[in-house]
Amino acid sequence: MLLIHCPYCDETLPEAEFAYAGEAHVDRPADPMALSDDEWAAFLFIRSNPKGVHAERWRHVHGCARFFNAERDTVTDAFVSTYRAGEPRPGTKCSAGAPAGDDMKVAAE
Amino acid sequence: MSTHRIAGKGRFDHGGPVRFTFDGKRYEGRRGDTIASALLAHGVHLMGRSFKYHRPRGPVCAGTEEPNALVETSRGKGRFEPNTRATAQELREGLEVRSQNRIGSLAFDLQAVNDLVHPLFSAGFYYKTFMWPRSFWDRVYEPVIRRAAGLGRAPDAPDPDRYAHRNLHTELLVIGAGPAGLAAALAAARAGAEVTLVDEHAEMGGALLSDPDVVIDGKPAWDWLAAALAELDRLGVRRLTRTTAIGYYHQNFVGLCQKLTDHLDEPPEGAPRERMWHVRAVRVILAQGALEKPLVFDGNDRPGVMLAGAAQTYLNRYGVLVGDTPAIVTSHDSAYHAAFDLADAGAKVAAIVDVRAAPGEGVLVEARRRGIEVLTSHTVTGTNGRLRVKSLRVAPVSGGRVGAARTIACDCVLMCGGWTPSLHLFSHTKGTLKWDEALDAFLPDRSAEECHIAGAGRGLWGYGAALADGAEIGVTAARALGLDAEAAAPVVERDRTGTGETFKELPTDGDAGRKRAFVDFQNDVTAKDIRLAVKEGMRSIEHVKRYTTNGMATDQGKMSNVNGLMIASDAVGKAPPQVGLTTFRPPYTPTTFGAFAGYHRGRHFEVTRRTPIDPWAEAHGAAFEPVSLWRRAWYFPKAGEDMDAAVARECAATRGSVGIFDASTLGKIEVQGPDAVEFMNRMYTNPWTKLGIGRARYGLLLGEDGYIRDDGVIGRLGEDLFHVTTTTGGAARVLNMMEDYIQTEWPDLKVWLTSTTEQWATVALNGPNARRVLEPLVEGQDLSAEAFPHMSVAECTVAGFPARLFRISFTGELGFEINVPARHGLALWEALMKEGERYDICPYGTETMHVLRAEKGFIIVGQDTDGTVTPDDAGLSWAIGKKKADFVGMRSLRRPDLVAEGRKQLVGLMTEDGDVKLDEGAQVVADPEQALPMKMIGHVTSSYYSAALGRHFAMALVEGGRDLEGRDVFVPTPEGIRRATVTTTAFYDPAGERLKV
Amino acid sequence: MTMHDTRMPDATVTIEDLAPDARFSLRVGADGRAAASETLGLDLPVRVGDVARGAEERTALCLGPDEWLITAPAEAGGAIARAFADLYDRTPHSLVDVSDREVTVRVTGPEALTLMTIGCPRDLARLAPGRAVRTVFDGATVILWRDAEDTFRMDVWRSFAPFVRDLLEIGRAEIAAGL
Repeated sequence: MLLIHCPYCDETLPEAEFAYAGEAHVDRPADPMALSDDEWAAFLFIRSNPKGVHAERWRHVHGCARFFNAERDTVTDAFVSTYRAGEPRPGTKCSAGAPAGDDMKVAAE
Repeated sequence: MSTHRIAGKGRFDHGGPVRFTFDGKRYEGRRGDTIASALLAHGVHLMGRSFKYHRPRGPVCAGTEEPNALVETSRGKGRFEPNTRATAQELREGLEVRSQNRIGSLAFDLQAVNDLVHPLFSAGFYYKTFMWPRSFWDRVYEPVIRRAAGLGRAPDAPDPDRYAHRNLHTELLVIGAGPAGLAAALAAARAGAEVTLVDEHAEMGGALLSDPDVVIDGKPAWDWLAAALAELDRLGVRRLTRTTAIGYYHQNFVGLCQKLTDHLDEPPEGAPRERMWHVRAVRVILAQGALEKPLVFDGNDRPGVMLAGAAQTYLNRYGVLVGDTPAIVTSHDSAYHAAFDLADAGAKVAAIVDVRAAPGEGVLVEARRRGIEVLTSHTVTGTNGRLRVKSLRVAPVSGGRVGAARTIACDCVLMCGGWTPSLHLFSHTKGTLKWDEALDAFLPDRSAEECHIAGAGRGLWGYGAALADGAEIGVTAARALGLDAEAAAPVVERDRTGTGETFKELPTDGDAGRKRAFVDFQNDVTAKDIRLAVKEGMRSIEHVKRYTTNGMATDQGKMSNVNGLMIASDAVGKAPPQVGLTTFRPPYTPTTFGAFAGYHRGRHFEVTRRTPIDPWAEAHGAAFEPVSLWRRAWYFPKAGEDMDAAVARECAATRGSVGIFDASTLGKIEVQGPDAVEFMNRMYTNPWTKLGIGRARYGLLLGEDGYIRDDGVIGRLGEDLFHVTTTTGGAARVLNMMEDYIQTEWPDLKVWLTSTTEQWATVALNGPNARRVLEPLVEGQDLSAEAFPHMSVAECTVAGFPARLFRISFTGELGFEINVPARHGLALWEALMKEGERYDICPYGTETMHVLRAEKGFIIVGQDTDGTVTPDDAGLSWAIGKKKADFVGMRSLRRPDLVAEGRKQLVGLMTEDGDVKLDEGAQVVADPEQALPMKMIGHVTSSYYSAALGRHFAMALVEGGRDLEGRDVFVPTPEGIRRATVTTTAFYDPAGERLKV
Repeated sequence: MTMHDTRMPDATVTIEDLAPDARFSLRVGADGRAAASETLGLDLPVRVGDVARGAEERTALCLGPDEWLITAPAEAGGAIARAFADLYDRTPHSLVDVSDREVTVRVTGPEALTLMTIGCPRDLARLAPGRAVRTVFDGATVILWRDAEDTFRMDVWRSFAPFVRDLLEIGRAEIAAGL
């Protein structure tokens, strides 16, 4: 049983209050009808499943009821960070104007 | 009676006896005895039979790692337990103990024939034997193996005991209350840490309980111990005895199993037998000490052969001398102290046989002083004695050659092959181990958790070292908690330090292949088996383990793992760390199912949700069925009615006059906000913009993959306010899905959701007389067809209660659903029942609801759909807003596989013979004459008897089903192949005339 | 008011069912919080778990960033509903009557905290008196109020209440047994 820090409650709480909700930063396309079948299938079904730090969604379902994002190491199960929905992934450099390819690099501690 | 109890020895109350039986014979023990110590006090060593060879066995140790002395215990009616460790179970008055794994008596076990034919049972025998002839398997091998397999008998009555559970948050959890754990707890508690200290034994003290002669801070060990425990209590340390840390999980989450009543003669009323603690600790200190290893030699398993440290414990803690003429076989100095203690208590030590050339000088001096013969550089080549060891054959070893043997008479053999740090819990956390060349042991390396290891667990030997290390680690932990702390290591005199060596199986003379040198006592694995496994190609210790079953018994190889590794690494020709160590897994010791289940058994097994109207249904004899976590009234049988009769009557009554149904379990969600209609448009397939206030519409919800997820009727109560209903089972899921979209995809929408499932009790009235029943109770709403047509919703008063009233129908009849605040649900129901009396109002349950909806071809999500059904598959294309730009799942409806020909479509099936009922789930085929396996083109999803149609009917998902209308398909059943005609699903009143009233 | 009392002379913990208050779920964005506070007559707290108390025994518990549970004496519910209905056009929000959704059980006594630990995995020692949180008790979502050091109150969804109540009784017997 993990301890999870809820970025809305600002408390570290037992996993029993939370529910997992899949990979994070998979945005629903603004205009799904404009997508090709392959693009739409990729949105629906393709996930990264990394060995290492994974950006994923959790919901504090028995608490503040918010969905939020987390970085968790899939090897150790250790949480690297949690952050609010809509916030960029920590360690990504999008705000600093780095090339888009850097978005996937994460500062894992 | 107690032939081997030594006056003045032992830690317990020497008062009244505790009576118990073993295999029917009466014995007396002392309060604080274990079964094993009490039997040993009577000179009884034979306590069990081994698993495979049924060899006679006695206890090897004095703790929970015991592999041999496993017995059946009975603590009164229903309180039967197999495989109780006699070395751990404390005596209680009237305890019944029986030996197990035998046919006949313990002394004469018929299955001991296995021992005579032991070559048949060599390593991997089950991969090699019983292979042929094939026909022997069912009738010969399997029944025999089943009878012989396993240890002990399973209980055959429900467990009458209670089991408890608690969550505990603590700053520092110290596991193990031996010298290191005590010193750590003291140091941390003195610094102000909030400490929990646990130990699996009845008493705290660990090895100190077996070594009273040690002097700590000028006090005899036991006086120091008493003072330390008193100080811990004063400091407010939470101390839990009889409490085993069974598993160590992420982020310092530790499972503790506490035994509360097994040792009590009369447990208090309401007391649980065991309690599982879920502990979350900021810091953990593992002070679990070390486990003594046996030596591996021929006949090392005879009753009377035990670990030297165990003999010392039996003497000092329980006052029991395990033998009058012990022989010691050792490769570690620690066994000398056992020999000295036994000698000082009156035993005549036959000899100390030391495998090493040079034991510690100090112990040799002590041995000489007591006149004990010490044989260095000697090996043991065998033992004798059938039910108890009688003698030992020893021989000198020189340059690898075994010299001439001599026989030493003895009545017990105390062995010591060194000590293994107990690192099971550390390994649970994926903490890594490294091999220590000097100690020939695995020691902790890198920790994956905020934990520390103190004392013998990290290879430190002797009381001074353990206490100093414990104090140091306690200080480290306290500082990590942000506390100021100073270590104060106690001064130890008369310490028992020493060193040792680790050996593979001892050298022997004669044919090594005929020697029975046991490595794993519980699974009967010998050194020869391990060498055979390597010879047959096993290289990794993980393979050797599985091939031989070494270390796979309930003791998880606490004694056998390292010995097995030493032998395997010798056979492979590689250093031990290259052969590896097997993985330790929770639980540390066998744990009852009850402790894991906790409160969740019997009536408290799982939540049973009940509606406000449930008490009425119960009082009126309803049969119930579970629907997700709810229990719902299934049907209301009258005297003499079976389910079919009751359902047929309820259906006819509803279609004929009026039926009443508890629909409170339907999920309800209040959707409110300026963007409510936009949100509804995006979530549901249907268009919502033009739905008028006071009107209702059937809503269909898809997943983003285009498959049906849920449905329900949705009423518009205001410009910005919708009352959404969901399926009973889908309520939480749908709310979660909606919240997900609002919070993460469309945070710009100003709309809020609130679950009102349990705010409202919901009663459905259906049938041609529904309006007549309802009308007199309604205030504030005209119920006429003109003012309140089908698919209307209004807020009004019903039976005096504020209500949300829907005119909707899930039956095809004139129908209303009345929602009132839940506290009034039962009163509303009773008012409607009273008002309906003159129309013979009929309460009906979920089964009738299912039949009536199926007659109309209405789907049940999850019954007629299975997560791969599109709106078109289900014949619900009409529910899709044709002009919408987007809704959840819309894009997927154009995916190639969702528009492909030949998808399974929902159709009706009419059996050729109307009396034939098809089974739900039955497969559908096009041609019954085809060869097996037949191509299955679909399956039956719903099947009922229809009172209205006077026959059975069914719905099915069938490939290209709508094109097959009018054609026949076939449904193979155990009773034969049934022919059925494909139809539409509008079985009853297809034009909907009955709603136009 | 106590409806059902299982007080025992020597009990170290007491379990009582309480009569229902008026309860509302209030949802409003940050832009509408001031107006909602004014309508309610108290400042809506913004830290999850904080409780604000106003006149006429009105309380507001912050359950989430835009979610509050409003409680008031049963007879005061109508006035609150009307006041917020009047507010809606100026300040869109959602106020839903949930007075009947949950029932309330109170646990008091020196062993109240111990009793709560049999079902709640949170570290309740860190829940300060006067605060409240939505959490989980024996698998059921509850709103758990710590009214005082030795007094807890749980709002439990109506259909889950018998199950939760059952466990509390089992736990009370266990504590009474002293082991």
